[in-house]
Amino acid sequence: MATTFKTLTAKDVASTRNLLHEAIPLTGAIVSGTYSENNIKNYAHGMFQSVFDYPFLSSSANHIFDLTCGFSSNSDLSASTSNQNAKKCNIYTQMSQILVGYDENSLVRKFDEDGNFVSTATKINEAYMLNFTRLLTKDEIKKQSFTLELGVSASYTNPFGKTVTLRDTNANSAFKVNSPAGEYGILYASNSVGQALNGYTGSTEQPAGLIYYQAGIAIVTASVFSGLLSSSEGGAGIMSMSAGGGVNGAGSGVDEVLSGSTIQTNCNDFRNRIYNISFNNTTELNSTVYFCRAHHTEFNYSSSPSYINGSRMVVKNNPDDIPVAYVTTVGLYSPDNELLAVAKLSEPLKKDPTTEFTIRVRLDY
Amino acid sequence: MGFLFNDGDIILDAVLTDSGRSRLAKGDGTFKISKFALGDDEINYGLYDKNHTSGSAYYDLTVLQTPVLEAFTNNNSSLKSKLMTVQAPGGGLLYLPVFKLNTDGNSVKHSDGIFVVPSDKTTIDKLGSLADGVLNGYKPNDSKSHISVHQGLDTNQLSKEDVLARELIETQYIVELDHRLGRIYAPPQSPQASNTRLTTDTQIAAATPSFVDKDNIASYYFTLKEGGGYVTNLGATEGDANTIQGPRGTQFNFRLGGSLDIKTSNYLFSEIGSLGTSAFTNTGGTNLDASTWRYIDSTIRVTGVSTGFRLDIPVRFIKLIIF
Repeated sequence: MATTFKTLTAKDVASTRNLLHEAIPLTGAIVSGTYSENNIKNYAHGMFQSVFDYPFLSSSANHIFDLTCGFSSNSDLSASTSNQNAKKCNIYTQMSQILVGYDENSLVRKFDEDGNFVSTATKINEAYMLNFTRLLTKDEIKKQSFTLELGVSASYTNPFGKTVTLRDTNANSAFKVNSPAGEYGILYASNSVGQALNGYTGSTEQPAGLIYYQAGIAIVTASVFSGLLSSSEGGAGIMSMSAGGGVNGAGSGVDEVLSGSTIQTNCNDFRNRIYNISFNNTTELNSTVYFCRAHHTEFNYSSSPSYINGSRMVVKNNPDDIPVAYVTTVGLYSPDNELLAVAKLSEPLKKDPTTEFTIRVRLDY
Repeated sequence: MGFLFNDGDIILDAVLTDSGRSRLAKGDGTFKISKFALGDDEINYGLYDKNHTSGSAYYDLTVLQTPVLEAFTNNNSSLKSKLMTVQAPGGGLLYLPVFKLNTDGNSVKHSDGIFVVPSDKTTIDKLGSLADGVLNGYKPNDSKSHISVHQGLDTNQLSKEDVLARELIETQYIVELDHRLGRIYAPPQSPQASNTRLTTDTQIAAATPSFVDKDNIASYYFTLKEGGGYVTNLGATEGDANTIQGPRGTQFNFRLGGSLDIKTSNYLFSEIGSLGTSAFTNTGGTNLDASTWRYIDSTIRVTGVSTGFRLDIPVRFIKLIIF
């Protein structure tokens, strides 16, 4: 019996899983400057602001991340006099309940800078939060690929005279798994331009935040703009977080801005100090490979109307000539002969009784 | 010493068709890939020059330069012609079977060169006796008019009396039809008997499609010696002079009716139909005056499951306008 289909057996089907990575560089100029804030979307609720890679009124714009900030209700900054105090506490609580979870008494845990929940110290009580979109992170951020470079010069208008870089150093082997939102790593701050970190002149690194790989969220402690820095930048002195007038006439420090300004202003001030963000994302690609085997005795004739002229094959002069056909397409079918997937060759492939081949057709999910 | 070719395996990325996506989305287990076929839609074998004076290396030079299109995601637009596996009986083959419309007796086309299907009672009553090539779409069993496809080797180099190799006999047919427009009905018991109006015939149900895809194309399967008499062996004396001239395989006969949609509603005739701007000729009955009827042109595709050969049959559904 002539046939046009060939059944795929279990030996002809294989499933594979591959991880694809893309490098995602975000320059500070996109985040703050290039588009004169037209790529920054603020909302009436004032809970966060969205950053786009192009003016957001354009259909070409892609949403790249959201920015917000908050502090724990136990923070020294939490007071009824603080600007948007409830919203900042709510944001902190929301993020921590999702990313850190609850303790045994069903109380929301705080962000912990070393991931050790047993210790009551080293909590991150005030934080800036960067929520990267799924468009950038895909399935997850690749471990040990995240860097965030922040300008920490005292000057607000020229913040990049000194910079520190936060990166998830050694996260490939030192990532944490005690979060309900998946794996996370610790962001360590180190000097990159100048010597801004307090007491550290070399490459020594200080815990300064957390990066949640599957959630695509970076938590940056507010201390990176104050306590971690030397006195000339923010430690005992003032680093001008805000352009507005502050203590000593040199602008406001990070604590002052966090408590006294809106979330939107805090986000603007934080963006002003982003020099660079980069990471690699990860896409998990599950593929099924179908091995379509055409043996030498198979698929040597065609049902194309042009293959025959009055029932006579146009590729043969006499019955003993070998038949020949040309493949351009592979179709994958259901048991009831419905075409479910199609693969195309780049050029016709000759098939005759002297050749046989295996076409590997990959279907990605 | 040169390197050996290592390109024996070819890796291709496949795209899901609309039907594939639809089945995957259903999540009911109907997305199951169990077989494959190879297609050659782009190839024009007329370019194969088997008598090229420069030798066999030049026979397919032009064919191999054929540009290949990207994949269509419409499941009905790809693999219209497939490569075929034939175990050549007793040596080489020179002829392959084809499908041809048999156009004699009760299976002739209308004088417009197309099969015409009046789709509702009003239109049938207006037409009265139906001319050749006009199929009763309202009550298909009331008429012996039907469509007939013959299969075999269409060559006068071999006798009709010769036996067609078993390998080349088509035993199963797929019919694809726009499910919004028509239904398939069994052929008359004596297809070429006198075509009187058989009002006493018991109306039988339409055939059941195997599946209807998301483009509303219904696929029917009919097998030799299955109930209904759709597929039968083709005798050496059946058919007109223009049908299969050589060894014969099988024949596939069916009647065509209108769908409930087009019987009871004018919607599709308004949306995808056209106005008949000239009179519709119904020889032996009553003609339809110009601008009093609408029509929808469609195609029925008959494909052989084994041989992959296909035939596209143009049909026209018509309806008297009563708005």
